[in-house]
Amino acid sequence: MWPFIVRSLEVATILLLAAIGELLNQRSGVLNVGIEGLMLLGAASGFITAMFLGVIPGYIVGMCLGALFGLLHAFFSISLRVNQVVSGMGIWLFAMGFVTYWADRYSGPLPPGVVSIRIYGLSPIFFLAVAVVLIIWFILSKTHLGLKIRSTGENPFAAEVSGVRVIRIRYLCTIIGGALGGLAGAFLSLTYLGTWSHLPTKGLGWIALALVMFSLWRPLILLGGALLFGFVWQFAISPETIYAGIPAPLPVLRMLPFIITIILLVIISSERFRRRWWLAKPEALGVPYIKE
Amino acid sequence: MVYIQLPKLKRERVVVLTGREAVTISILSLVVAFIIFSGFLMLEGASPIEAYGHIFTFAFNPELGLSTTLHRGFFILFSTLAFIVPMSAGLWNIGMEGQFYLGTIGAFAIAYSFPNLHPALLIPLMLIVGALSGAGYGALAGFLRGKLNVNEVVVTLMLNNIAFWLVYLLTVGGPWAGIAESTSRPLPASAHAPIVWNIPFTSFLAIGIAVILYIFLKYSVLGYQIRVLGNSPVVAKHIGINATKITILVMAIGGAIAGLSGYHMWAGDPAFRLIPRPEAYKAIGDLTYWGILIGLICLLNSIATIPFSVFIGSIIVGSTVLVRRLRLPFGLDVLFLGVISLTFVAFQFFHHYRIKRIRRG
Repeated sequence: MWPFIVRSLEVATILLLAAIGELLNQRSGVLNVGIEGLMLLGAASGFITAMFLGVIPGYIVGMCLGALFGLLHAFFSISLRVNQVVSGMGIWLFAMGFVTYWADRYSGPLPPGVVSIRIYGLSPIFFLAVAVVLIIWFILSKTHLGLKIRSTGENPFAAEVSGVRVIRIRYLCTIIGGALGGLAGAFLSLTYLGTWSHLPTKGLGWIALALVMFSLWRPLILLGGALLFGFVWQFAISPETIYAGIPAPLPVLRMLPFIITIILLVIISSERFRRRWWLAKPEALGVPYIKE
Repeated sequence: MVYIQLPKLKRERVVVLTGREAVTISILSLVVAFIIFSGFLMLEGASPIEAYGHIFTFAFNPELGLSTTLHRGFFILFSTLAFIVPMSAGLWNIGMEGQFYLGTIGAFAIAYSFPNLHPALLIPLMLIVGALSGAGYGALAGFLRGKLNVNEVVVTLMLNNIAFWLVYLLTVGGPWAGIAESTSRPLPASAHAPIVWNIPFTSFLAIGIAVILYIFLKYSVLGYQIRVLGNSPVVAKHIGINATKITILVMAIGGAIAGLSGYHMWAGDPAFRLIPRPEAYKAIGDLTYWGILIGLICLLNSIATIPFSVFIGSIIVGSTVLVRRLRLPFGLDVLFLGVISLTFVAFQFFHHYRIKRIRRG
């Protein structure tokens, strides 16, 4: 039972890191649908670095590459004002190609000496992820910087007039979002899987994207959502640890997280829910800011 | 003293982008992609000129790659058209992958159920059921969007993943499993697509749909309503366009077109005629996302997408030569596609802005 809990907490960690980064840049008004790509890049670079230098440099490099592509997305969508969905998709397509080319030659497990640190089987990154969520929650809702970020996402024109540097804030948030996406990827390949196989993310990035939406852009709900989906995802992979002899075949279980996502989306998109709970949705999400 | 004066640049908003400008922009973006990819080729110790020569001579040689190039190109054309219709109404159909899988399931279900039917009956039936399954899947996303106001980007992405596992369920150890591990049973001979001029006849179907869509979107009343909704939902509301109905309709049309590509892909290529391993059909499914980029680059003009789709098809087929003939590392071919996608995205900037020099007076 304990190994199963650890594994599902690890999936939750991946989702938490990727989704909290996405939440941050969405709150600043930038939608990044390419988290799956950022995770792939982080996973590949982290894995390859770890093969030669060890796990901790792996995490750092994964995070840096994620940040770099976050910067690229920021450049495309903020400075070049390319549609944010297109930019995210382009980065994802590039990441798929690049990662296949770069990392597939190292397919296989990590070398024996390279292992992640674990406390009772649990990686300290899990606590880091929870801490990051709490920090971002604190920044967004309690600090002056958070107010600036939120105002950039709500109404960039008003924010600019009142002295907030919209472009700078958006760049900052998108880069941090990218870094967290990269870290999530590195955690996936280094700690959760420990091996490299062709395109390992398997849709986790899309789940993280949806998670931001039905956390209603609130970090603390996100925390709960990530734990829930970590459990569902891991249950789909190894159901026998919880419920031996479950009648559903594996592919049906693997569909489960996606089906649950759609159901939750339908619920939160209803008019009633929207009016009451969608207050945190950034009004300017996905709209490029054009200074007149 | 030498004083270099850098020209001062400013960006200017482009209000109307002509077709000619759009073509220039895409060609420029391709040139940049080719230059960037040359760097990777040189890194691997290959001569870029030789490599590009190999890519295109292979892709367009009628004895070698041409028929596969056209086959993949028209496959991408299906996805592009499936993207264009909802996009004209302002909806992001990112679900071509899932709709393609559903089309595959529909077509194969018919082929396996009635293997003894005459091809003249079986093949149209497969196409129709494939299109209907895709349309249903598209309409589901359209319904959620139009009726329940659920974001279509996220929903279609989720539906793609569900459809992937649905195909998995049927093929890997499922009711359609073949003798070979984790592929499906081969299609009955009566279901193979007739080949016209070395390409499956469905390729001409794709061209036909592109032409019909062009006329439909440009000249029909419904097409007009779709475009109004895409340009301004507020205006659409005021002139009495039923947005919910149109939303479901365009997603269903998109889904139907993507669904047709299921038959085109597997029954049209003699190398397949079955559903391959999950990694292989996923790799094909990932190609459908090219529809988004091509559709936007061609400014949603469905006829202009034909040569573009074939060009991307030639890259897909031709760059396999890098791995097979030039013995360069695996994955270099997909990297080339990735580089092109990135430059396409960057050059989207020029769809909205142009750089002007400020003259000093």
